[in-house]
Amino acid sequence: MAEPLIHAQDVTRRFGDFTAVDGVSISVAAGEIVGLLGANGAGKTTLIRMILGLLPPSDGALALFGAPPSREGRARLGYVPQGLGLWDDLTVAENLAFVDQAFGSRATAVPDALAGSRDGLVGGIGLGRQRQLAFAAALGHGPELLVLDEPTSGVDPLSRARLWDTVHESAEQGVGVLVTTHYMQEAEQCDRLVLMSQGRAVGEGQLADIVAGTTALAVRTERWQDAFEALDRAGVLVMLSGTHVRAVDADEVRVRAALGGLAAEVEPVGATLEEAMVARERSAG
Amino acid sequence: MKAMILKEFRELRRDKRTMAMLIVLPIVLLTIFGYAANFTVDTIPTRVIGPGAEQAAANAPELFDIGEVDAEATTDDALAWMTDNATEVVIDTTTQPPTAYVDGASLFTAQSASAAFGRMGDQVEVDILFNPDLETSWVMVPALIGLILTFIGTIITSIGLVKERQSGTLEQLAVMPLKPADVIIGKIAPYFLLASFDMLVVTFLGVWIFDVPFNGSPWLFAIGAGIFLFVVLGIGVLISTVSQTQAQAIQLAIMLLLPQILLSGFIFPLDAMPTAIAAIGRCLPLTYFVEIAQGIFLRGAGLDALWVPYAVLTGMALLVFTAAVLRFRRDLAPSAHHRAKSKAA
Amino acid sequence: MAAWGAHGLTVERGGRAALANVTLTVAPGEIVAVVGGDGAGKTTLLRTLAGAIAPTAGEVATPALERIGFMPTAAGVWRDLSVDENIAFVAAAHGIAGATLEERRAALLAGAGLEHATERLARNLSGGMRQKLAFSLAMLHRPDLLILDEPSTGVDPVSRVDLWRMVSLAASQGAAVVMATTYLDEAERAHRVTVLDAGEVLLEGAPADVLAGIPGHVVAADAPGDPARTWRRGRGYRIWSPEEPPEGEPRVADIEDAVVAAAIAKGA
Repeated sequence: MAEPLIHAQDVTRRFGDFTAVDGVSISVAAGEIVGLLGANGAGKTTLIRMILGLLPPSDGALALFGAPPSREGRARLGYVPQGLGLWDDLTVAENLAFVDQAFGSRATAVPDALAGSRDGLVGGIGLGRQRQLAFAAALGHGPELLVLDEPTSGVDPLSRARLWDTVHESAEQGVGVLVTTHYMQEAEQCDRLVLMSQGRAVGEGQLADIVAGTTALAVRTERWQDAFEALDRAGVLVMLSGTHVRAVDADEVRVRAALGGLAAEVEPVGATLEEAMVARERSAG
Repeated sequence: MKAMILKEFRELRRDKRTMAMLIVLPIVLLTIFGYAANFTVDTIPTRVIGPGAEQAAANAPELFDIGEVDAEATTDDALAWMTDNATEVVIDTTTQPPTAYVDGASLFTAQSASAAFGRMGDQVEVDILFNPDLETSWVMVPALIGLILTFIGTIITSIGLVKERQSGTLEQLAVMPLKPADVIIGKIAPYFLLASFDMLVVTFLGVWIFDVPFNGSPWLFAIGAGIFLFVVLGIGVLISTVSQTQAQAIQLAIMLLLPQILLSGFIFPLDAMPTAIAAIGRCLPLTYFVEIAQGIFLRGAGLDALWVPYAVLTGMALLVFTAAVLRFRRDLAPSAHHRAKSKAA
Repeated sequence: MAAWGAHGLTVERGGRAALANVTLTVAPGEIVAVVGGDGAGKTTLLRTLAGAIAPTAGEVATPALERIGFMPTAAGVWRDLSVDENIAFVAAAHGIAGATLEERRAALLAGAGLEHATERLARNLSGGMRQKLAFSLAMLHRPDLLILDEPSTGVDPVSRVDLWRMVSLAASQGAAVVMATTYLDEAERAHRVTVLDAGEVLLEGAPADVLAGIPGHVVAADAPGDPARTWRRGRGYRIWSPEEPPEGEPRVADIEDAVVAAAIAKGA
């Protein structure tokens, strides 16, 4: 089997007394899209920073392309940070030219969608286009690994679909992808997911595996407002979905008891990723 | 409205930098203008030479603080002392009537001195050296070059660097396969070049428009300006490493710039300040650059006369610039830094 | 029950139509999600509803300004004030005091999970906590119309669920809620959705109506079709076709595909 692009074994990072990442193991192979899920403060960003070599692990073994993260390794990866990491006062073409020089790559083509803004300042082209540019910049040098930190926040659905097309195309050409997100739709785009909570990896596998441990009940009633308030008061983890209410990790008996005499249809439904994440977070806290 | 006012005070209390400006700035300004801002000079370092030295020293008005009295010294010695800035005034009794050489590069001192000699009537011939018409611009332009370099080096550089941090592109640079040295040099060199260019423009304009003489060695001056640039660029980089936003960087830079403007001796003479405040002035890099610039421009002084400010500036440059590069490097290549530390431990 | 909203709203900014003929209604007790990417016009619509922008054409029906609660994108909290001081300031601005304030303050802090962080400065709160505080501030005077601009952007899932619970509770207590979001799983939870694209309404209605309202239909496939009409979902593909779906087949699987299909159809 080919060596994984990222291989982290029991990686820990402490800041003083605080353990941000606690014995996490993760690997990303060529052609694979791995999603890193978790709340803010779950340790996703710290883990990514360690993988990029911006932060050394306090403990554990971490290999990028089979070696400790280094400048040579970085030349083989493409990174799109949350803030995109573009230079606002440079034009689209100038941004790409700088990245080309830094990576010693051939001239990266300006993406078609940006052809009209080639000489426009990046600060003035709108967030959707900036994202496309950041992707083009990260892919320009033909990286073997893509690291994407919440790549599509603030993007309309069609543009988001197009960005994911790009990610999938890269993966099909053998690029490994590590992507952080906390949105369901992006999680289902991944081949494999790692769920982090409070610094630890608490779940791994496909979306179905992660959601499997959590149950949800749909509560349908004319008086959804009353049902919602009653369940919330009873301490049930409750969500609103349109005009029905969802109770997470609560059995029907408890839900009925909380509803009192309120007439309602109660039916088991598949939990969402978000519900699974919150349920885990609750049981952990 | 009451709620608004209360909110504003609460917020201000939490903003340490603004609080510092609100409290420290008035105190600093009050101290400087109360004690240091003194155009009138109370004592003027003076030497007396020639056969009538003893008698001239005894007759000199109180204003003149007679240091050396040397009956043997010649007029050439006197002129050499003046060029070296060893003293502000020399009374030469080898001529009849005696000649008083006054250093025109020290504007306020020269004005006080010539006024005092004027009151003595024909007893002395006054010869104002280096700046015979006591032109303010002659004294100001060389010092202004230092101020401009400080401005670019400190404010512009720190803004440029903080922008990179604020927009998250500093992290992007850190993950690119660039050497930290490339990033640091690449980031600072443009400001170095821009500041050098500005220096040339101001020098030429000063000489051309204001007829400021340039009596010394251009190369010596260029070297001094270069060393000084390293100091101010280093300060700019240091400011950027402790600032998260451009506004913070500007605030901090202003707090460092203001004392330099007021205490470097280019507006208010250092000699006229109380010792404690003059001592603060002597900790500031601009003070030494002003000394170098005025020395080279007006007196045509060489390294033998200016070695002290050169040595001090070089020391400052080494210290500040090294600290700046190390801090900047820590932001760019934390791995290497930590690894080195854990090995050492 | 009066419904608030905008009718035939057009807003021109800098000679360009930021909103073109947009209609949106929201009834008390109802949550309407405004969906769209950056630059679609979400913020302009919300700010017009909040009275911060004058419409070029069309009508806006809203309660009096003091009966509106507005939460701007970049959480409207004062970062150098503590949680308590933020609440005290907004309460004073609305003239809320005494027992009413105490009761609302306690309820909002409990709902936001901020009971133990009242002394903390807002700048030291996590993004999620800060958004929850901002929501609490917008809710403090129990407004009739609650306008929330991307309350969940950049918020972690746990805080997001708390936020949604707070929003749902506000609606269940009778507030009309308009909230902007870039994420469709959130929109699916709202009672009605308005999808904006370049200042125009792309789709509108209850989530189920939106699915039924798209032109043509979408099929799942293992291989890509016309690239302009194909997009990925995981390792599979979706292809939009302008033809009507075969008898008995749904037009589209979910709202995500519906919006992508509608955007492609609009461009075609």
